[in-house]
Amino acid sequence: MAQIKLQNIAHSYNPNSVDSKYALKPFDMTWVDGGRYAILGPSGCGKSTMLNIMSGIVKPSEGRLLFDGVDVTDETTSDRNIAQVFQFPVIYGTMTVHDNLAFPLVCRGYDKSFIESKVNEVAEALSLEGLLSQSARKLTADQKQLISLGRGLVRDNVAAILMDEPLTVIDPDLKFRLRRKLKEINQKYQSTLIYVTHDQNEAMTFAENIIVMDDGEIVQVGSPAELFDRPRTTFVGYFIGAPAMNLFECDVVDSNSIKFGSEKISTETDLKSVNGENIKLGIRAEYVQLMKSSAKNTVQAKVESVDDWGNHKLISANFEGNIIKVKVKREVEVPAENVYLRFPTNNCCIYENEILVP
Amino acid sequence: MGTFYTTLKYTAVTIWSMFVIAPFLWALSTSFKDFNSVTSGATYIPWVDFEPTLEGWRVLLRSPAQGGVNIVEPYLNSIFVTCLASFISILLGTLAAYALSRYTFKAGFIKNDDITFFFISQRIMPPVVLAIPFFIMLGKLGLLDTLLGLVMVYVVLLMPIAVWIMVDFFNKVPVEIDETALIDGCNPIQAFFKVVLPNSIPGMVVAGLFCMIFGWTDFFFAFILTFTEVQLLPVAIVSLNSSITPWWSLSAAALVSVAPLIVVAFIVERYLSKGNLSGALK
Repeated sequence: MAQIKLQNIAHSYNPNSVDSKYALKPFDMTWVDGGRYAILGPSGCGKSTMLNIMSGIVKPSEGRLLFDGVDVTDETTSDRNIAQVFQFPVIYGTMTVHDNLAFPLVCRGYDKSFIESKVNEVAEALSLEGLLSQSARKLTADQKQLISLGRGLVRDNVAAILMDEPLTVIDPDLKFRLRRKLKEINQKYQSTLIYVTHDQNEAMTFAENIIVMDDGEIVQVGSPAELFDRPRTTFVGYFIGAPAMNLFECDVVDSNSIKFGSEKISTETDLKSVNGENIKLGIRAEYVQLMKSSAKNTVQAKVESVDDWGNHKLISANFEGNIIKVKVKREVEVPAENVYLRFPTNNCCIYENEILVP
Repeated sequence: MGTFYTTLKYTAVTIWSMFVIAPFLWALSTSFKDFNSVTSGATYIPWVDFEPTLEGWRVLLRSPAQGGVNIVEPYLNSIFVTCLASFISILLGTLAAYALSRYTFKAGFIKNDDITFFFISQRIMPPVVLAIPFFIMLGKLGLLDTLLGLVMVYVVLLMPIAVWIMVDFFNKVPVEIDETALIDGCNPIQAFFKVVLPNSIPGMVVAGLFCMIFGWTDFFFAFILTFTEVQLLPVAIVSLNSSITPWWSLSAAALVSVAPLIVVAFIVERYLSKGNLSGALK
């Protein structure tokens, strides 16, 4: 348990070559002790590199790493007391399940009775009690992944538990239970959990704070609600949520309204300082309102398609060449031809050069 | 369809088995024949076609003073040289292969793959190219005609096989297992011995098998680098030959020399079929 601080950390896998490209661009980040974080981003955005830097598998090309204020940048992985679980199960095939779970404690020289009690506790939490004496090699993939997880949980004084898409090989029902279990463990032991995923639902339901990464950069850090309501860049708006945020090119009219096509739309955003080009209006499909008739902040659009998503419908409507996506409840009747769509002022986000105007 | 396929399969296997077993049976029956039964036309069934005799086998155990050719000593020499050379090759080869698989080496344009190829290239070279250098080097060291000299030469010949097999094996072992061991509290040396090595035994067994086969059957270097003091089994068997070819004792000696390989093959086959070789980590 510790506060983990990344100071100006950056990493390049081949720093000396001419076209050295950062896998991770310089950044600062503090992980609060006991926090529950999810790192979200597309493949190859630097998520795993960040975890590997924290656990010491990768030495950052720049910057410092502090655990509770102590510089550990040059410390070896084994000295850092961190737990890490990988995407695919890693088990010690020549050992039993029991010995697999005990290994991190045995390596650190804990006494036998303590090891026994911890192993039993973790085995019980993960429903592995019946398998303890079995050879780990013979288990199924999800059982093996439980062992990997168990090895991460068996030490309760770790600085943090880092998980790199740990539930990929686990079936959906068990996935749900395990996420609950991880939350419980986080609350019980107050251990910091950092969870890498590219599944936004997983991130949203698991974490208190989500870190969105793209192309080696942290784009936004915030609660699930913040990420959903006020994406800091158009990338976050596009990446978080299904469907992606509606984004339309527009022009600033005055300090609180913009011109979207032929319509004038008001927003709560203060646009005084905005004067550049490349202005975009962003609004979630969930927040666009279906109106009976024309009103303020409303556009008239032509319905192109209505998709049934089970518990709701997704309307695609064409307004002067812009496709507006609207998410409505299943019961809502959608007119066949023309619809009036209202953009609530507080839900209209304005982006200047892809970055949110605050 | 089912039975037809099964019949076809068994027929094919039977025919193939006959091809494999026939030479062994022929050598076995020849080893119990005497001069007349071999030279005056083919004979097949013991006690009917020919009277079996143990003479061919006795010759192998009798000392040269009693008119025999002793193959016991060459046999033990061969076991010693093959086992020791294989052991050293596996030991060094595994360590080299682990390093080549996990760490990046670079010396100018030479990288890991080039180093691995350099090892393998030792086997691509025709052995005869190495004969004279080995002869001169062992001569300078005073190790010609000694077991130690042979062990050294065989390590040179066998280690590339071990490196080759083990590099391939380690490359298939996910690097996460090493990393997990480090996270669990091992230093890199402990990670290798406690986690990686126990998981590598199947690969080492296969590499060991290949080393033993190549070491045991080598005639060329055993012939060139020894004279009178020490003799290895293949050389001893060839030297059984004289103006009248003693087919019976040659057959007996051939069977005796193949026996250990058959035993090893059976043990390893058991090991293979238990599934211990594949899926050690997945």
